[in-house]
Amino acid sequence: MARRHRDFWWSITVLAFLAVLAFLVYPLAVVLLTSLRGEEKRFVLAENYHRFFAHRYYYSSIINSLYLSTLATLGALGLGTSLAFAVARYSLPGKTFLRTAANLALLSPPFIGAYSWVVLFGRMGLANRALSTIGWSLPTIYGWRGILLVFIVQYFPFVFLLVSAALRSVDQSVEDAALSLGSPPRRTLTTAILPILAPSLTAGALLVFMATMADFGTPMIIGEGLRTLPTLMYGEFINELGGNPAMASTLGSLLILVNTAALMAQRYYAFKKAYNVVCIQPLQVRRLRSGRRFALTLFAYAVVGVALIPSVTIIISSFMPTRGPVMYAGLSLQSYQTVFYRIPRAIANTFGLTAVAVALDVLLGVLVAYLLARRPSRAHALLDGLIMLAYAIPGTVVGVGLIVVYNRPPVVLTGTWIILLVSYFIRHLPYPVRSCTAMLQQIDIRVEEASVSLGVPPFRTFFKVTIPLMFPAIISGAALCWMTTIGELSSSILLYSGPWATMSVAIFTEVFSNHFGTASALASILIAAAFVPLFLTYRFLGERGALGV
Amino acid sequence: MTRVRVHGIVKRFGEAAAIDGVSLDVRPGELFTLVGPSGCGKTTLLRIVAGLLEQDAGSVLFNDDRMDEVPPYLRNIGVVFQNYAIFPHLTVGENISYGLRARRVAAERIAAKVEEASRLVQLEGLLDRMPAQLSGGQQQRVVLARALVIEPRLLLMDEPLSNLDAKLRVQIRSLIRAVQRTLQITTIYVTHDQEEALAISDTIAVMDRGQILQVGKPWELYLRPGNRFVADFIGTMNILHARVEGPGHGPSDLAVVTEFGERWQVRAGGQPGEAICIGIRPESLQLEPGTNVTDAWNALKGTVSEVAYLGAVVRYQVQVADSLRVVADIHDPDFEAICGVGDRLTLWFAGSRAIALPGAAGRD
Repeated sequence: MARRHRDFWWSITVLAFLAVLAFLVYPLAVVLLTSLRGEEKRFVLAENYHRFFAHRYYYSSIINSLYLSTLATLGALGLGTSLAFAVARYSLPGKTFLRTAANLALLSPPFIGAYSWVVLFGRMGLANRALSTIGWSLPTIYGWRGILLVFIVQYFPFVFLLVSAALRSVDQSVEDAALSLGSPPRRTLTTAILPILAPSLTAGALLVFMATMADFGTPMIIGEGLRTLPTLMYGEFINELGGNPAMASTLGSLLILVNTAALMAQRYYAFKKAYNVVCIQPLQVRRLRSGRRFALTLFAYAVVGVALIPSVTIIISSFMPTRGPVMYAGLSLQSYQTVFYRIPRAIANTFGLTAVAVALDVLLGVLVAYLLARRPSRAHALLDGLIMLAYAIPGTVVGVGLIVVYNRPPVVLTGTWIILLVSYFIRHLPYPVRSCTAMLQQIDIRVEEASVSLGVPPFRTFFKVTIPLMFPAIISGAALCWMTTIGELSSSILLYSGPWATMSVAIFTEVFSNHFGTASALASILIAAAFVPLFLTYRFLGERGALGV
Repeated sequence: MTRVRVHGIVKRFGEAAAIDGVSLDVRPGELFTLVGPSGCGKTTLLRIVAGLLEQDAGSVLFNDDRMDEVPPYLRNIGVVFQNYAIFPHLTVGENISYGLRARRVAAERIAAKVEEASRLVQLEGLLDRMPAQLSGGQQQRVVLARALVIEPRLLLMDEPLSNLDAKLRVQIRSLIRAVQRTLQITTIYVTHDQEEALAISDTIAVMDRGQILQVGKPWELYLRPGNRFVADFIGTMNILHARVEGPGHGPSDLAVVTEFGERWQVRAGGQPGEAICIGIRPESLQLEPGTNVTDAWNALKGTVSEVAYLGAVVRYQVQVADSLRVVADIHDPDFEAICGVGDRLTLWFAGSRAIALPGAAGRD
């Protein structure tokens, strides 16, 4: 079986390498090289970096980004972990609702979350206007406070889901053993339970940190000029007075550096702290006395309630009559009419591009996962690493890289839909690859060997046995891929042109031209579109199958 | 019926040789067992015979056909894997018929054959179940039926009982043996459990570190182990060191002096002055309370250090010298004759029960 010849799988390896090199590695290399290039197109080492750190206008962006991401990570970690413990360990009413709600909170892309807080608490916000009628006023939602609020609310459900899953794999005997050895409850938590969760906690922290570092839409919408690395990068690249690709690349390179460093640190740490836990009896659910139970219930529902505010606000406001940024009480389909009349193309673009990108991701993802899990080699380990790189690289950087590489011959893709597809495809390939590889590692290779020994050649065995067994992972990988692709903004905003604007781009421009009604209607469609696959995954695979993060 | 011959098989994983020049001849219709400690290469050898692994050197023959270039799916072998390797997405019936469908057998023939196979392994009425609804023993029956229904020229079993509890293990073991006898199918069976190997096999090959140490019938391995490893691995063996004095009373006996000065008459060969190793099975030892014994006996004096009363048998650990502890199984023990820890006693055995172990003068 191990004969090395140029078979089907060999061509998949080549294809995967070509895709990753052409659409990720080469563009990133060009970004890194451009950042080293001086004004006269000579290589002047560190000239751009020197400029970056010499001017407050530039260097404040990295300070802001690091500051916001660190605080957001800590906030999301604290909130998500607390909620996970509350739900997993105590008898609270309506746990299914809490879990479902936390999942639902993941549906709206972050920039839509930001926009929803503006709808509520912005200058013309619904809540602000309501409060001002009784003479109250709230502190401003704009600026770093707003960004931080959006980040935490947006990302703590990830931590909640990860930690909840990890808690399910902790055996009650661990806690019993610690307590029986004389360790008080609080010490047991910090010395026995939390260390087992360390890989999941750090994975959650990494996810939040990288996503908030990369987030372009949120600071644009609610930051009111606060410069972060992605927004400044966008501004430097798309400048009406002539862009500065060298500085944009410098900012992009710094983003890559920070995120890759975080990724490496987490991988290294999680690798050292990965324990094999065998869970026979999950942690017990404790009963609480009514007072404490009430307080904890209140906390859990408040947290989940806040997480749902963005989606609920968007959907409700999409049915309200609006004039510019001002919304009035009442029911109207005016916004939807405008959307379908004025920008049907964006909706078609989004669904078409997302569907094709997800199909390609799943197709290649399944095949690559098989290579990684069943034919381990150095080449495949490298391929794995390169694909995972996409996970760490912000969309803004990928967008700039693709434009710089593909806006001149031999291959010109800028101005076409292909460049959007390429970005979606390469950026979300890690999801199916990860979910399918994890699944394959759980499938006993002997099941496949049994099929081969019964007379079914390896290639047919792959379709008759392997694919059916991988099905849950394929579905959850596809669902995750779809959910993250459909609201993609940070590279779309750079790569779209003329007729190829997507819904996310349309929402963004509608918000900036103060058309809040149409923005809400578009955002509602996006949320619904993200909800459908999640719902189906739930129905067919159950809670654990969904979101194999 | 297929005769399986294996010639000079070598398989390396990196630097280490997992199989180091192994040759075997499996007679048609017999149940041939590869037994050895984990990592001895037995599963690797089985996978090479199945074609799931490619050897670095040597060849595999089924009757007179060289199989080296034949891919596994064309070898027509039934394989039963350690962890069942059941197809969890298919029903019991679909699992069993999987290989027949791959061979494009007509539907009504499939139904009949599946029915017959399920009867053979006592799975009637479960054909529509999903594997997850089955017990471990039932899953193993499915896998057995699945392997048999394709009428393979050879059946390979890799530790098929290791995931079952003790009672089921014995049940399925006799099922396997009965089915194998009925179908007269050549079978290669891999296990690390020497008791299982003794119970089920026509022929056993003992493997260690990628090599075959001895091939023989179960009682040949047990009663005439060819070396210390086999003696130790198959059953329990007390091993003592002695020096040959000269010819003994009987024509094939030797007079020897043991390492702690006892004079024995044992059935063995050797030159005067030669150091030899003598093995004595625990059940060959007899017990006599006290230490006053005649010279006529092959005796061992010692102190009881542990007693395990198992009903039919009492298993004594007897400290004979500082460096030597002997295990003695006393069957059908007398009520009065049961000794306790600390009791002094004498063990003795018939000279014909001694097992001479060649080439092992050293303790290890």
